[in-house]
Amino acid sequence: MTLDFTRNKVVEVEPLDDRGLSVLWRLKDSLLEAEIRMKVRVPDLEIVEAEARVSRYPYEHCAAVSELVKRIVGVRVSQGLRKIVRGLIGGASGCSELTEGVLECCNAVILHYTVPQIRIGERLAEQELLEGRRALLESNPRMAGSCIAFAPDSPLMKELGL
Amino acid sequence: MITFSRTMLVGAEFLDETTVRFHGILEDHIYAMEIEMDVRIPDGVVTAIEGEMKRYTNPVCPKAVDVLQEAVGVSLREEGWASRIYREIGRKGCQHFAEILIECGRCLDQARMAHDLTPIIATNPAASTTELAKRWLREHPEAQGSCMARSEEGNIGAN
Repeated sequence: MTLDFTRNKVVEVEPLDDRGLSVLWRLKDSLLEAEIRMKVRVPDLEIVEAEARVSRYPYEHCAAVSELVKRIVGVRVSQGLRKIVRGLIGGASGCSELTEGVLECCNAVILHYTVPQIRIGERLAEQELLEGRRALLESNPRMAGSCIAFAPDSPLMKELGL
Repeated sequence: MITFSRTMLVGAEFLDETTVRFHGILEDHIYAMEIEMDVRIPDGVVTAIEGEMKRYTNPVCPKAVDVLQEAVGVSLREEGWASRIYREIGRKGCQHFAEILIECGRCLDQARMAHDLTPIIATNPAASTTELAKRWLREHPEAQGSCMARSEEGNIGAN
């Protein structure tokens, strides 16, 4: 059957020359078209610039996001981010699409740093990879239990003896 | 140069007036996965779900496909449904499966609105989407209140 609704979301991270990251997020669906641009300072990952615009929307109040997004300037991509961002721009007096968009931008920043680690892992022999994963878990204990691969009963955790 | 990008694609197909099927695709530099999820429209309950993990980082990751079944029975209308999905599908399965599932779930009301507005716009292309959306929202209280645009002070109360 034909589709009645489509949504396409894209988020991109691009390193800047001046020790920062540029993040661009775009949403285009049957009803809404929106964009967020953020600049994140490295190495503390503080959001130093944030802009948002909605060029097509079903509700008049959606246009208010360009003012709302300014509240996230100064927030760092670190622990407690979800709660902070939802408190600043979410809820019944905020914008749910903008909130999710900002969180997706921040998630993309984290994944931007994950890609090179995974690339290194792809070049390692099995034993080296295992040691690499052990080091990763030791340096980032929050990963334990974060998904099925790092669950206590996973074959990977058993192999690592954890 | 772009060093990380992620695309999430959602499509909503109305199988009949009581069931909407969501097709969700996530593709980024690291992961690629896809889900198909049926949702009962009147109560927002997930009635069926299937998934495929196409590109991943760990041989254990594909086991998360089975965990998707934990979403069956969850209502996208219940308070905190997205947190429940993060907990049950994300932590016990795969966080990225949870992300694309939640993206599909968050499209429920927009998909219903688009489904209802499509025939109106087809017969009257000049009709104002904003006016139609406002009227649709007044007639669908279950979709109200989740943000400033859908609140009493927002579009519902506006003339």
